[in-house]
Amino acid sequence: MSEIKLTNVVKRYGRVEVVHGINLEIAHNEFVVLVGPSGCGKSTTLRMIAGLEEISDGEIHIGDALVNDLPPRKRNISMVFQNYALYPHMSVRENLGFGLKIAKQSEAMIEERVGEAAEILGLSELMDRTPAELSGGQRQRVAMGRAIVRHPEAFLFDEPLSNLDAKLRVQMRTEIKKLHSKVKTTVVYVTHDQVEAMTLADRIVVMKDGYIEQVGTPMEVFNHPVNTFVASFIGSPPMNLIPARVESGKVKLADGASVPVPNRLADKVRDGQDVIFGLRPDDMTPEGHGINDTGQVATLELTVDLAELLGTETLLYTQLGGQDALGKMFDPRDVAAGETLRFRLSLDKAHLFDATSGKSVRL
Amino acid sequence: MARTKSPYKTRLALTPYLLLSPAFLVLIFVVALPLVFSLYTSFTGYRLVRPDTLWNWVGTRNYERIFADLDFWIAFGRTILFLAIALNLEFILGLGIALLINRITWGQRTLRTIMMFPMMFSPILVGYQFKFIFNDNIGVLNNALQSLGISDAATPWLVDRYLALGSIIFAEVWMSTSVFAILLLAGLFAMPRDPIEAARVDGCSPWQVFRHITLPFLMPFAFIAMTIRSLDVARAYDIVDVMTGGGPAGRTELLWTLIARVGYDNARMGQANAMAYVSIILSIAFTYYFFTKLVAARRYMGGAA
Amino acid sequence: MSGPLKRRIVAVATWIGTFLLMLVICLPGLWVMLTGFRPNREVLAKPAIWIPEQFNLNNFAKIFGFGAEQIAIPVPAYFTNSLVIALTSTAIALIIGMSGGYAFARFRFPFKDSIFLGLMLSRTVPGIALSLPVFMIWSRIGLIDTKLGMIIVYTALNIPFTIWLIDGFFRQVPKEMSEAAQVDGCTRWQAFWKVEFPLAKSGIASAGIFAFLTSWNEYALASQLTRSTDSKTLPVGLMDFTAQFTIDWAGMSAMAVIIIIPALILTFLVQKHLIAGLTFGGVKG
Repeated sequence: MSEIKLTNVVKRYGRVEVVHGINLEIAHNEFVVLVGPSGCGKSTTLRMIAGLEEISDGEIHIGDALVNDLPPRKRNISMVFQNYALYPHMSVRENLGFGLKIAKQSEAMIEERVGEAAEILGLSELMDRTPAELSGGQRQRVAMGRAIVRHPEAFLFDEPLSNLDAKLRVQMRTEIKKLHSKVKTTVVYVTHDQVEAMTLADRIVVMKDGYIEQVGTPMEVFNHPVNTFVASFIGSPPMNLIPARVESGKVKLADGASVPVPNRLADKVRDGQDVIFGLRPDDMTPEGHGINDTGQVATLELTVDLAELLGTETLLYTQLGGQDALGKMFDPRDVAAGETLRFRLSLDKAHLFDATSGKSVRL
Repeated sequence: MARTKSPYKTRLALTPYLLLSPAFLVLIFVVALPLVFSLYTSFTGYRLVRPDTLWNWVGTRNYERIFADLDFWIAFGRTILFLAIALNLEFILGLGIALLINRITWGQRTLRTIMMFPMMFSPILVGYQFKFIFNDNIGVLNNALQSLGISDAATPWLVDRYLALGSIIFAEVWMSTSVFAILLLAGLFAMPRDPIEAARVDGCSPWQVFRHITLPFLMPFAFIAMTIRSLDVARAYDIVDVMTGGGPAGRTELLWTLIARVGYDNARMGQANAMAYVSIILSIAFTYYFFTKLVAARRYMGGAA
Repeated sequence: MSGPLKRRIVAVATWIGTFLLMLVICLPGLWVMLTGFRPNREVLAKPAIWIPEQFNLNNFAKIFGFGAEQIAIPVPAYFTNSLVIALTSTAIALIIGMSGGYAFARFRFPFKDSIFLGLMLSRTVPGIALSLPVFMIWSRIGLIDTKLGMIIVYTALNIPFTIWLIDGFFRQVPKEMSEAAQVDGCTRWQAFWKVEFPLAKSGIASAGIFAFLTSWNEYALASQLTRSTDSKTLPVGLMDFTAQFTIDWAGMSAMAVIIIIPALILTFLVQKHLIAGLTFGGVKG
């Protein structure tokens, strides 16, 4: 069994603390994605799991073993690096077999495992090339192959797709997903790209400034962000966050407009509370174009400053509560700047966050 | 949950020091300890011919004596002058050469390789080579001047006060300009095209582009060259020793040749060590100055170089 | 001035400049080398003989003790000394330099920058200034005028710069290479030898060549710490000629050729890496 368990893990560089006592349990065969903006400590955390950074405080267990003082090679993990870190002086075959050769496995066994990995990743034709002769996507595959040949307890991925172009990134994303379903293993995956996190993860860990902000399945994190940071970080385009105040059952926005307090949150707020009203662009659509015609809805007249046609949908830039806000129209129709539309706001999907703490009022 | 430092962590923390320890050991034995010893000696009246004088503590007398000695100050001043002229000439010529070679598209690599040769010459050979060329009687320079009918006289290149120092500077510049040329050329190669093109589009003249874009970009490279050069400015000793031996009559005496004369020829080790300390401080000051410049320039470039 | 004409003038000026430059760089050395193949008589002739009338290997035969003429200067012994001292000190400096360079390239540790600066500053001590105390100490412990004494000194001389260069070459090998190897099951030691060393080895080789040349060319220390055929090196031996009543310019030039040749060949081999090493180590910090 290969659970990974982090207990109060701290990382300090000299006096500067960059990871502040995080706790996390990763289940056997689970695909966990650490996501957050750069500098949030996600890579450092991954590298502490790998043993490439020493752990300043706290404990990390892999399986049953406390690994704090184990060097990387004794942790039985494998890792895919951001820039692949393929050995340039070895062929693809040697790259794949290197770990096994170091472990003094038999020739036959190495050949079998390497062949198996090459098969899974479609590398069989490329075995005698050197990394310099491979394309970005091929290098990426070799890096993954190198990780799987050793049948480790866990795969660690450190931003593996960030060096690829957009199209290849999408393709490799699906390949990683497929790989995980073929080779059942625990995966810890670090990325700054929330789309990758959403599509790949069994569970997402959102990090910021060395703290874990929220842990949950993609849908939990998307539908129930615990604070404004998670709300704005997960989802693209990001959630509209509008400062407001609760006054006699209404959420009063800065520009005087108001919407009812969402029913399901009615008992979570008190009168006079300063809040932040959060609504995803998908839940703010012009009348007649939306999909959210059931449930609690508020209607507001808003002026469109700019419309962006994306083909299947149109993004509408407008102002809400004196702030830039974004709506969506599931209809590729151009809207002239300055045109006023009636927007329907789906309050069932709206969020309220406390203005001072930034935390969701649900909590 | 405070954990005490585990043996594993301690080992990790000690590794770099362990790796550096052989280097430290050798440098302590060959450089640091001898320098401590020589610092001590500089406060004694030690003479090579009388070993017991090593224990003859004389306080700061050696220093007082050399600071009161006109010959020392002349040599010191000459050394500073020599370095100022040589380093500036090397920088300017090196920059010119780098810009020149940068323009050439065909055979550039070959030219660069040839440029490296003087750098790799033994200073003693450079000295010998120019001693031979500047020889007043059979030197190729005077021979050429005579054969071409420009001058009949046997110009005393290495004897005349000014010509001799000039000849030595020429040899020094010949040997070391390539350090600058090569590093500045590497800088030109590494230079991104975008800022230059942006400046052109913004209406800069070629001179303005050079002054405001190229030159600032090259400065870290110039400082690397300066740092490397200042690491062994003292190899001019070899050249002077071969070419003139500091003579005639001390006219080309530099600090370093003076040290050798006082220490070995006159066997006054105490006094020579006092002078040696002055020369060490001079060298360290040079290197430290250029190294801090290098660090500052690097920071200013924000890692763009 | 019209564009094309101006361009042509610039092009011609560039070529003339380059030609003159190469002339200044190459001629002195070539003249010395040429002299090495001419008899001293011809070198001393007045008026000067510009086109060599005699051109042979007599000078080389003479200084190596084969020819009819004999000289008092034991060049073969000096040559052996130079070779032994330079090779041994280079090998030791390389091992120590690899260890130290790796520490700087791969580890974070307190006082790193100060230690690096300190190492470099140890190199700035002028040879002649260092020679005084080393001379006194070596005399007392019996290392004066021995090859071992010179090897130790040259090792110390080469360590700082070797560390600088090798540090640069290891930095060019991405840190992830070593990390990937460690995750793949290597100890740090294995990761070094199987991954990092093979990737940095051509750079390390050029650092070695540079160290060899430094030892091969050194004069200030050797001139004071050696005195007999036991340890005198070629550069010091070259000065033997000047001690004679009349300078044997031709013989001296022949000896100069022997010192120059290895320098030329090795420079040619090392130049690409050396430039890369110097700029990288210096600029990337």
